[in-house]
Amino acid sequence: MRLLLSLPIAALLVALAGPVAAGPLDMAGAPQAVVCSACHGFAGQSRSNAMPILAGIAPWYFKKAIQDYAAGKRTSPEMEPYAKMVLQSGVDDIAAYFAAQARTPSPVKLDPAAVERGRAAAAQCTVCHGAAGKGDPSKGVPDLTGQPPGYLRTQMLLFKADRRSPGDDQLKAVKALMRTIPDEQFSDLAAYWSSLR
Amino acid sequence: MKQSTRREVLRASAWAGLGLVATGCAPKVSDYAQKPGRRVIVIGGGWGGASAAKYVRLADPSIEVVLLEPNQEFVSCPFSNLVLSGVRTIESLTFSYDGLRAHGVRVLHETATMIDADRKRVHVGRNALPYDRVIVSPGVEFQWDQVEGLAAAQDQVLHAWKAGPQTVELARQLQAMPDGGVFVLTIPPAAYRCPPGPYERTCQVAWYLKNNKPKSKLIVLDANPNIISKTALFRAAWANYPNIEYRGSNKVVKVDPGTREVTTELGDKVKYDVLNLIPPQRAGTIAVTADLVGADKRWCEVNHLTYESVKHKNVHVIGDSTIGLPVPKSGNVANAMGKISALAVVSLLNDKPVPTIAPGNTCYSWVSDREAIAVVNSYKIDGGKVVQIEQKLTPGQSEAWAQNAVGWANSIWADVLS
Repeated sequence: MRLLLSLPIAALLVALAGPVAAGPLDMAGAPQAVVCSACHGFAGQSRSNAMPILAGIAPWYFKKAIQDYAAGKRTSPEMEPYAKMVLQSGVDDIAAYFAAQARTPSPVKLDPAAVERGRAAAAQCTVCHGAAGKGDPSKGVPDLTGQPPGYLRTQMLLFKADRRSPGDDQLKAVKALMRTIPDEQFSDLAAYWSSLR
Repeated sequence: MKQSTRREVLRASAWAGLGLVATGCAPKVSDYAQKPGRRVIVIGGGWGGASAAKYVRLADPSIEVVLLEPNQEFVSCPFSNLVLSGVRTIESLTFSYDGLRAHGVRVLHETATMIDADRKRVHVGRNALPYDRVIVSPGVEFQWDQVEGLAAAQDQVLHAWKAGPQTVELARQLQAMPDGGVFVLTIPPAAYRCPPGPYERTCQVAWYLKNNKPKSKLIVLDANPNIISKTALFRAAWANYPNIEYRGSNKVVKVDPGTREVTTELGDKVKYDVLNLIPPQRAGTIAVTADLVGADKRWCEVNHLTYESVKHKNVHVIGDSTIGLPVPKSGNVANAMGKISALAVVSLLNDKPVPTIAPGNTCYSWVSDREAIAVVNSYKIDGGKVVQIEQKLTPGQSEAWAQNAVGWANSIWADVLS
């Protein structure tokens, strides 16, 4: 009787103790990336308005951002030290880790009217970023979809003021475009691109 | 302790495996007198301990995690200076431990009283909880005896250096102080929790007084010769607050709540209407009783890769109670140490190599109701030791940094607790 009762329990224990599927921190780059999660969220799923989502980010774009921050081309007192740290702790693995994470869009609430105004004004962006906002790696154009609107707006303002990567030839066109856009429209554009999935 | 029969162990294993111990009713310490499988006990549910508990579960859900934290809720020290100025409420900084429970962490609102490192047991009152490894994140304890008259006046002389009821009471005293009153803030000698914290508090109290009690004065008595963190940025911020009277190298050695007076090492007596005395600090009490502190009797030395104590095996120490790493005693560092120690502990329990990870430090200070400054430090592991790569400061104060501060806080609170 005792043995019979114990069998299902023993079976359960064996099942529980059996080999566990690869966990969320088993991938190369994941252990180093836990330092990033303080600001960018676990697995790069930023929940705040200020910090970009790193989950699902294209490795080429992540690496360029890290290199530009480390070199001081993208000026950020927060990111410059951390970018140097990422370069020293294995940027390829960390980039591959974030790229492998499925992106959960930003939970920052959007004003539907701003999204609609943004949609009407977004045609100029689609020339490079595409109608779906997914970008084009071959031209060095990143995916905008689902990013927090606060982050997108800040980047547009930095482009307009030429404070992001000054002298970068790849960014000449986007900066020229930003200079034609009135500041108050950036919130609408940011809301629209943030709303896309 | 009574030897368990195989049947009891099996039953305990099954219950634990099914996650039934914690369902239905609050778990009790006595539920954990047996250890059915591998177990990590985390002592202290602050920034370090809560992060460690969560990340052990994330890295290996087959490991049972028991978190011992006496407080029912988590109250954030970062941003709590804003409660003094009325910019934030304490409720906006108070969070539940339910997020950790959702990760399968067994949260027990109890105080660990002793660690028996030889027998690998944590004592909670009369119960002894076995562990495979223990992560100790006890924060700081105040050295009441370092200031004459303080031990007997603990209830009247507020530190507000552990966010909670004292923060709210200090804000109430500040609001109740008559215009023309003197607020005295005293800063202990380094090392203490949150190096820039007292100077941020200076900004918040001065901002409040400037806007609400313009005839009042804030006297800052600093045991250190000068501002010890973000020095130039705080000096620049204080230019907006002529109501601050800062006195460096003014260590307070005596307090008399009867005459409402503090005495400095130099013998100067300073009268106050409201006093905020931040006492000298050491590692939390369990670190002392468990013989984890070094020769200084204050702080704990650890391995820089695993955070294992240099004094006791299988006992890891993180957060403000550590010493010897070139990092500040900050919430961000405690969060990083919690995560890194968790991955180290999981690796050690699975006989895998410990990953090489250094912490980082992102630290914002509010200098008014809407502007902030920041310092950021990154680190690497070099020769088995944590070494700084770089420190960067914001070039000035701005609303943009304050927005980043809010983003940081929302992100890291989630990283610690949900």
